[in-house]
Amino acid sequence: MRKAMKGNVSLIAGSIMVSITFALLILSFIWTPYDPLAVNPEDSFAGVSMRHILGADKIGRDILSQIIVGSRVTLFVAALAVTVAMTLGVSAGILIAVASRRYQSPMIYAVNIALAFPAALLAIILAAVYGASTITAVTAIGLATAAAVAQVTRRTAHGILASDYVLAAHASGASTWRIIRKHVMPNLRASLLIQASAAVSVSVLAESSLSYLGLGTPPPAPSWGRMLAGSQQYLFVNPLLAIWPGIAIVIVVLGFNLVGDGVREVFDPTLRRSDS
Amino acid sequence: MSLLEVRDLTISFGSKKVVDCISFTLEKGARIGLIGESGSGKSMTSLAIMGLLPDTATISGSITFEGQELIGLSDREHSRLRGNRIGMVFQEPLTALNPLMRIGKQIAGPLMIHKGSSLKEGLKKALELCTKVGLPDPDRILRAYPHQLSGGQRQRIGLAIALACEPALLIADEPTTALDVTVQREVLNLINALVDKEGSSLIFVTHDLPVVSAMTENVAVMQLGKIVENASVASLFHEPAHEYSRRLISAARLAEDSFSGKGGQL
Ligand SMILES: Nc1ncnc2c1ncn2[C@@H]1O[C@H](COP(=O)(O)OP(=O)(O)O)[C@@H](O)[C@H]1O
Ligand SMILES: [Mg+2]
Repeated sequence: MRKAMKGNVSLIAGSIMVSITFALLILSFIWTPYDPLAVNPEDSFAGVSMRHILGADKIGRDILSQIIVGSRVTLFVAALAVTVAMTLGVSAGILIAVASRRYQSPMIYAVNIALAFPAALLAIILAAVYGASTITAVTAIGLATAAAVAQVTRRTAHGILASDYVLAAHASGASTWRIIRKHVMPNLRASLLIQASAAVSVSVLAESSLSYLGLGTPPPAPSWGRMLAGSQQYLFVNPLLAIWPGIAIVIVVLGFNLVGDGVREVFDPTLRRSDS
Repeated sequence: MSLLEVRDLTISFGSKKVVDCISFTLEKGARIGLIGESGSGKSMTSLAIMGLLPDTATISGSITFEGQELIGLSDREHSRLRGNRIGMVFQEPLTALNPLMRIGKQIAGPLMIHKGSSLKEGLKKALELCTKVGLPDPDRILRAYPHQLSGGQRQRIGLAIALACEPALLIADEPTTALDVTVQREVLNLINALVDKEGSSLIFVTHDLPVVSAMTENVAVMQLGKIVENASVASLFHEPAHEYSRRLISAARLAEDSFSGKGGQL
């Protein structure tokens, strides 16, 4: 790992940002300056001070405490959504890649339709039917991201299946299932890592947007997206209220994106050769 | 009964015939060379026997192997022969190996698939196979990844994989084209020795006449999907019947002349 890190700016910067986020998550279970939900009318719109390090919102709730606890919803939804997206997307992508040509094009078509379907629309539909909740947000984000994962996985798997070593494996009598397990999956690994980290970014962003739109985890559980939505009325009076959750979101999204880039660098086949 | 009997084999992509009504037979323990310039349909013929044509290809005619008709055989049944009764060595020894799998596992593959070996048994057999194909320090080789080996070593691995289950037929599709001339010589000698020892039949595919003359007594000359001449190597050299064969020979002579200054390989 240390060797992989060396000189890999994206991986280093990304790892630091991701670590900050996880540190917040762990901290949220141990200590927060205040109860994030405690209302203190006398602290309404308190500025940055020793009392409230990041200030307080309209009803005097401590911003730092809300940011710390808000990491739970964000990371919980992202983790679940990415699990759903990777499981569905990777299975679908591989299935399509190995399917006979006759079934391939309708399935590719179906993925393309799913791709055109934004997470927000799906979330609105699900929220309308089941009521907005963490589960509807996870489902909407997971399904929408799965389509993108399926698309990339199919393309990568297709390239692997067309390789000489898969032909050679067939020539050794390997079954399709064996080829998937022993040849396709290991050679997909780099691509999957990159996709997973990108999927985390997308999911965090999507979760924030859905919370912002009131389609995510319902109040009072603090969430960065909803903090952003709540601060919008006071944007000109009190811009800091929007900036703090904004920074938090940017750190997670950028962090996972950079990690993805860094991983890409590590797995670049032109760099791999040199380790012999 | 012949080991392999190919009758009127035709392979097309759409309306384009890439193999055009070819026939040949191969007795048990016998060898045949398939020679022809690039694109003449040699690989398609080999892949048809393996049942590994691209699924856009259409195939007709008949291929019987050990008395069993292979055309129209289900993929599942065909895969019982592949790597087991019929082994194949490929042209590119690097790309034909999985870059992320250790050599030992790759050699053990066919044994685990066809002989029900455990990984441990497969690796033990792989060690023997490494020695058999003349690789020094087999313990290290089994733990290595393909990119850590030289081209010649990789092709020896390819041979070890193809011969793991002691096939009745070995198909070598330009096995030395990607190798240096000196390494080429070693690998050819190895194939010769192993095929003799195992008593396998051999289909040796090449575009290089001097190479085929080192490997087989009989050759089928292919041009544009057709077999234009079927002869022994000796008679092909002395009295080529077909214009195309004559061209192949003069090309070979030319190459030999330009080599002879450096000691003349093969
Ligand atoms: N998947 C494919 N689709 C269409 N044509 C193909 C395909 N694969 C090979 N061909 C054509 O088949 C012909 C014979 O190819 P091949 O058997 O590989 O020749 P070679 O004698 O060099 O091994 C070539 O003209 C090639 O262009
Ligand atoms: Mg070829």
